[in-house]
Amino acid sequence: MTALLEVRDVHKSFGGVHAVRGVSFDVHAGEILGVIGPNGSGKSTLFNCILGQLAPTSGRVRVDGRDVTGLRPSQLNRLGVSRTFQLLQVFPQLTVRDNLILAGQEHRGSRLGRLFGASDAGVGPDAERMLDFFRLRRLADERAGSLSYGQQKLLDAAMAFMAGSRLVLLDEPAGGVNPTMLVDLRERLEALNRERLATFVVIEHNMEFVMALCSRLIVLAEGRIIAEGKPDEVRRDPGVIEAYLGH
Amino acid sequence: MSTRAALLIGLSALVVLALLPVDLTTVGLPYPGLRRYGTYILTLWLVTAIAAMGVNLIVGYAGQETLAQAAFVGIGAYLTAITTKSGVPFGVAFAASALVTFAIGVVLGFPALRVQKHYLAFVTLAFSVLCWLVFRNEQDWTGGVMGIRDIERPSLLGLSLNNHIRFYWFVLGITSVLTFVLSWVLRSPWGRAFTALRENPLRAESLGIDVRLYTLLAFALGCAYGGMAGSLYAPLVEFIDPSPFALGPSLIFMLMVVIGGSGTFLGPFVGAGAAVLLPEWLRAWDVYYLLIYAVLVMVMMAVFPGGIVGLAMRSLPRRARP
Repeated sequence: MTALLEVRDVHKSFGGVHAVRGVSFDVHAGEILGVIGPNGSGKSTLFNCILGQLAPTSGRVRVDGRDVTGLRPSQLNRLGVSRTFQLLQVFPQLTVRDNLILAGQEHRGSRLGRLFGASDAGVGPDAERMLDFFRLRRLADERAGSLSYGQQKLLDAAMAFMAGSRLVLLDEPAGGVNPTMLVDLRERLEALNRERLATFVVIEHNMEFVMALCSRLIVLAEGRIIAEGKPDEVRRDPGVIEAYLGH
Repeated sequence: MSTRAALLIGLSALVVLALLPVDLTTVGLPYPGLRRYGTYILTLWLVTAIAAMGVNLIVGYAGQETLAQAAFVGIGAYLTAITTKSGVPFGVAFAASALVTFAIGVVLGFPALRVQKHYLAFVTLAFSVLCWLVFRNEQDWTGGVMGIRDIERPSLLGLSLNNHIRFYWFVLGITSVLTFVLSWVLRSPWGRAFTALRENPLRAESLGIDVRLYTLLAFALGCAYGGMAGSLYAPLVEFIDPSPFALGPSLIFMLMVVIGGSGTFLGPFVGAGAAVLLPEWLRAWDVYYLLIYAVLVMVMMAVFPGGIVGLAMRSLPRRARP
């Protein structure tokens, strides 16, 4: 079976700094893969290389067997790959509903058609469903900037699904979210995984969250994969304990 | 605000504006109508507002910068003056002004794909100076510092628009159409995408929005509004020379958008009003008027960075805000 996402020997250097040094892994459909590692281990850089925000120095990235190395983020998004960012990335001046519509509109019809067609580009009903799914209904007409941090994180995650994405890369979704909201977020992500067969790659520092959510983990340290396996196996790996968990 | 309410307010404003220069004493109302100069200033306000709408699209909605709007107004004005004087109908000259400035906007905006914001400001600054030099030095075409005189006002369906009130109505009609078009664009998914460019281009790109293309479209569309404004400016003033199309006036366009309320739909109208009408009212203070104007602008910026429209919005009850 072809993997949904194949990362092959990706390197990324910034001048003399080798942030990512030959990382390879596969993600299969329906999987929730966690990427953990200490600060500066290259997790976000790896994400940026996969998603076209940065061009890898060498190596290939494939989605459904198709080489997507060097494609722009907007092109990848149209192939069904979405992401969230480490720091909050909603559009504060737009309402929650408009944020969701914006996240889905480029996937409907032609660009010219969108100019002359309905102002919600036909994704209004999807946005309404997403409002219910992420329990954001009562905030629909509020400006996103006025939401609490945790609510914005939920919105951020909801936006990643508006494009009907099959593969979503989440960069620290639990960062700064309070424990109650965290349970909500995990539950929503698990439901998406179950009901829509959404596939996730999650970067996370919150060990409890990542151990509970992910079916498999890879551990990065100094730009390399130092361990890979089920959460329990990784937890016991001496190399990991030394590089990360033990700190 | 619902589309219906916005349309109703727009139509009411249109009727009031259309009646401003009309002598209503003939129908028993105590309003003598604006005089010739007043009507001219009002027409100039509309023309300026069209160009400012373009700047607002580029700066207020798409979050880019431009210091060349007066140059685009100049291109539209010279193109219209030169072609109509050689017998081309005004309608053709107007359309050509829009298309040519749109095309130049695309070419000039291309560097914007690599150099955004302040760097784009410098690209447009260079273009502004270049245009001014062409207007001044290419005497065979532009008349140089002597300019082009006796630019005729067009006629509409055989009806001459030489009369100042008729020409005002003509400009009012075109302004209404262009306002409607822009409001349509901004209420469409394109408008949402433009706002996304301003607020967070990185996130916009990751949501499938082609940031490069939308930036280019916003910039070129904004330039085309400048071109169309210029095309109306030439027959309004009937004489053009390079001075209103220099760098200074381009900065004033930027100022209008900021004073009116950057990224608000009515901002350019209010800002153009402040830039065109305020100096007229302050003229009574003679040499001090520029000083008063400058102080007003500075106080405005320090106290109400959201501009006049932003200030008005804050004073409205929350529910009534658009």
